[in-house]
Amino acid sequence: MSLRTVMVGPALARPVVAAAVAVATILIAALVAMMVQSELVMTLLTQAVITAILATGVGFLIRQNGVVSFGHAAFYGIACYTIVLTLRYGIAGPGLAIILALIIPTVVSFLLGLVIVRIPGIAFSMLTLAVGQAFFEFAMKARQVTGGEDGLSINLPARIFCMPTAWFQSPHSMFVISWAVLALIVLGLWFVAESPFGRLTAAIRENEERARFIGYETTLPRVLILALSAFVVSVAGVLFTLYNIFVSPDVLHWSLSGSALIMAIIGGPQVTWGPTVGAIVYFFAKDLVGDLTEHWQGIIGLILIAVTLVLPAGLGGALAKLWPRSTASG
Amino acid sequence: MLVQILNGLVYGGLLYIVSVGLVLIFGLRRIVNFAHGSLFMIGAYIGFSVAAMDGFWVAVLAAAVVMGLVGALLDLAVFQPLRRQDPIVTVLVTFGLLMVLEDFAQTIWGKDYLKMPVPPMLSGSVSIFGDSFPTYRLLVIVVAGAVALGLSIWLRASRIGLYIRASSVDQFTTAMQGVNTDRVSIVVVALGTALAGLSGTIAAPLLALSPSMGSDILIESFIVVVVGGLGSFAGAFVAAIVIGQVHNIGLVYLPWAATMIPFVLMVIVLVWRPTGIAGSHV
Amino acid sequence: MADARALEGIDITRSFGGFFALKGVSISVPAGEIRGVIGPNGAGKSTLMDILSGRADRWTGNVRMFGEDISASSVQQRRRAGLARSFQRTNIFPQLTVIDQLTIAARMAEIANVEEIMAELTLTALAHKRAAEISYGDQRRLDLALALIGRPKILLLDEPAAGLSIKESLDLAHTLKDLAARWGVTVLLVEHDMDVVFSICHRITVLHLGAVLAEGTPEEIRNVPDVVTAYLGSTT
Repeated sequence: MSLRTVMVGPALARPVVAAAVAVATILIAALVAMMVQSELVMTLLTQAVITAILATGVGFLIRQNGVVSFGHAAFYGIACYTIVLTLRYGIAGPGLAIILALIIPTVVSFLLGLVIVRIPGIAFSMLTLAVGQAFFEFAMKARQVTGGEDGLSINLPARIFCMPTAWFQSPHSMFVISWAVLALIVLGLWFVAESPFGRLTAAIRENEERARFIGYETTLPRVLILALSAFVVSVAGVLFTLYNIFVSPDVLHWSLSGSALIMAIIGGPQVTWGPTVGAIVYFFAKDLVGDLTEHWQGIIGLILIAVTLVLPAGLGGALAKLWPRSTASG
Repeated sequence: MLVQILNGLVYGGLLYIVSVGLVLIFGLRRIVNFAHGSLFMIGAYIGFSVAAMDGFWVAVLAAAVVMGLVGALLDLAVFQPLRRQDPIVTVLVTFGLLMVLEDFAQTIWGKDYLKMPVPPMLSGSVSIFGDSFPTYRLLVIVVAGAVALGLSIWLRASRIGLYIRASSVDQFTTAMQGVNTDRVSIVVVALGTALAGLSGTIAAPLLALSPSMGSDILIESFIVVVVGGLGSFAGAFVAAIVIGQVHNIGLVYLPWAATMIPFVLMVIVLVWRPTGIAGSHV
Repeated sequence: MADARALEGIDITRSFGGFFALKGVSISVPAGEIRGVIGPNGAGKSTLMDILSGRADRWTGNVRMFGEDISASSVQQRRRAGLARSFQRTNIFPQLTVIDQLTIAARMAEIANVEEIMAELTLTALAHKRAAEISYGDQRRLDLALALIGRPKILLLDEPAAGLSIKESLDLAHTLKDLAARWGVTVLLVEHDMDVVFSICHRITVLHLGAVLAEGTPEEIRNVPDVVTAYLGSTT
């Protein structure tokens, strides 16, 4: 769905092309929304797109920092609960709630990052699984505040940020909104990856020691990448909450982190738009399989194993190979 | 008070037996088995089913043997072929396996919580310094202690044990000594998974059986292993005991705060020493 | 004041338990000199290299650069002060292209002389190739190039000729001598390849079992009996 042509030419061409492609996909999305009648399909697509944003954040972290997080749903869930709790306890209106929901997870991830970014690969993965689940447990246990297992719902006013709230609730319009947000995020992340900062973090990922020996501080750049990936994930959380107007601890559960990770792997984190492909494939496969059998979990487990072993670059990576590549980034 | 501590030791003991399997596998293969908790879970279910037919002790043996065989298969089919690749590949594959095993358990035993009865001969209680304590729980503590002792002796006295300890410290050089790494690792991995299965069956009368019990224990054993120092047996022992106590105190006193304590502990330890308390390699 | 000492290691000791990796080692390199450090395996050469470059911890003594004590300086601080090192086990960025990684290195250097360095080390033709895809010899030169970017004042080279053919080694030696002279770089060179050492070094320090065994010009060193028995007889 998200096609990208690479042009060899002046350095300016590629960013312009990338931006043009992003805009084009938004127009295509709008067209899809206008042509597809089925509420069911649009609901599926909307969920897929929102989750694609979550997967994109996870994939970006893998790509730039070379670490796999099993706990990114924590930031997603924190964003969700921030909106819900802010509104329920009358702390602020929806506009400010949304802004807080974007800021708080990012700050939390930054502070956490200062501590955990130095932890090597596998231990980092284990830690993210544990920390992510800690937030889940907290949400489950702190019933008075979070509503525990039952979750909390919210009431939204008629307009948010001068947009009719109804746009966020209807699958047709929410699909276009979410897709637009996704396209902008993917484009933004692509710019970051191509920037000197992005190349630096890629170098640090490759060989942190040598990066230090050529004079770079390596901790802060990695923390910033983590914070950026958390920000992306919190955007997904905001969209989810506006769409569902209900959150439960499920938004913090490791299985959501795991699913997002699987989408990122299936789509391939090497290209910024890979996780999006993975998310769409995941949702449609899940829907399809769900009609035939109850063994979705086992099947997605097998798919993950297969992709990891046979197609390490994921579907996105495989697709990207069909075009000429001029640099290491995608 | 004594009963509280003993209860903490029960959970800590179960945690230790599961975690030590992870340590064994990591020490040798430098990989973390994300499906380890699932093996605990399947062991519990196997124990449940076998116990209904042949009694408790046969169930324990069956679970340990079956999970041991599964471990051997895991080593041959997954860990060994993937050893030259980045460890994250094995993590992802075992994570996929985790999902497959959860689905498998759900298919055979269903999603509902199952309860395994305490074996009749162990269902009473004993008196310890005036307090009454369930016999079965005492058994769990004894078994955990026996495993810890047995492993400790085995690691020090046997050739394979020496090899494991050497490999935990320096994998590369040890492999160059001409020991057949692969054959030894099948045994070690099988032992690790057998212990997970054993722990599962023993835990079954105490916990409610559900497909999600695997991921619950996995996360806790990760905390134990990381806090104890990836690759350290003594560290895992200490960490398991500490976390067992914390877990128990939490159940009784501050549920929602106490759930956070092991995680906070994990983060604190990793900040202070990125390789955990006892210190090892990642 | 005494003549300008570019790099000094003063009474450096590093021990574990009872084992001394380095015992009271002092080395003093004047500006512009190419100093070779040789010795059998286990002599402490790598440890010395690590301590001078800021890679090691738990050692006693001092390291001074142009008179300033840098013992507590971080790796990054040393680099910014002009101390660069290359690595015995090739330490490059596998997935980045040659020019990309040199450019990243150049951004932290005073002079962004990427083209110059690539030309000097015959890497220009490989500029857009990924480091993982070039030959071992090319990777060794890339490792060196990363250290040479910005014309550092002091260069610590850890077995730059390791694994290179005779011709490649001598080409490298020639290039190093040439660059060092042109740029006025002070070089500390740990090497096993005696042809390289004897052809370009002004002075040689011999380490053995963690201590300095001898120090002098190549001719002097060749004739010291202890050195001959301990080391020169058995070259790699």
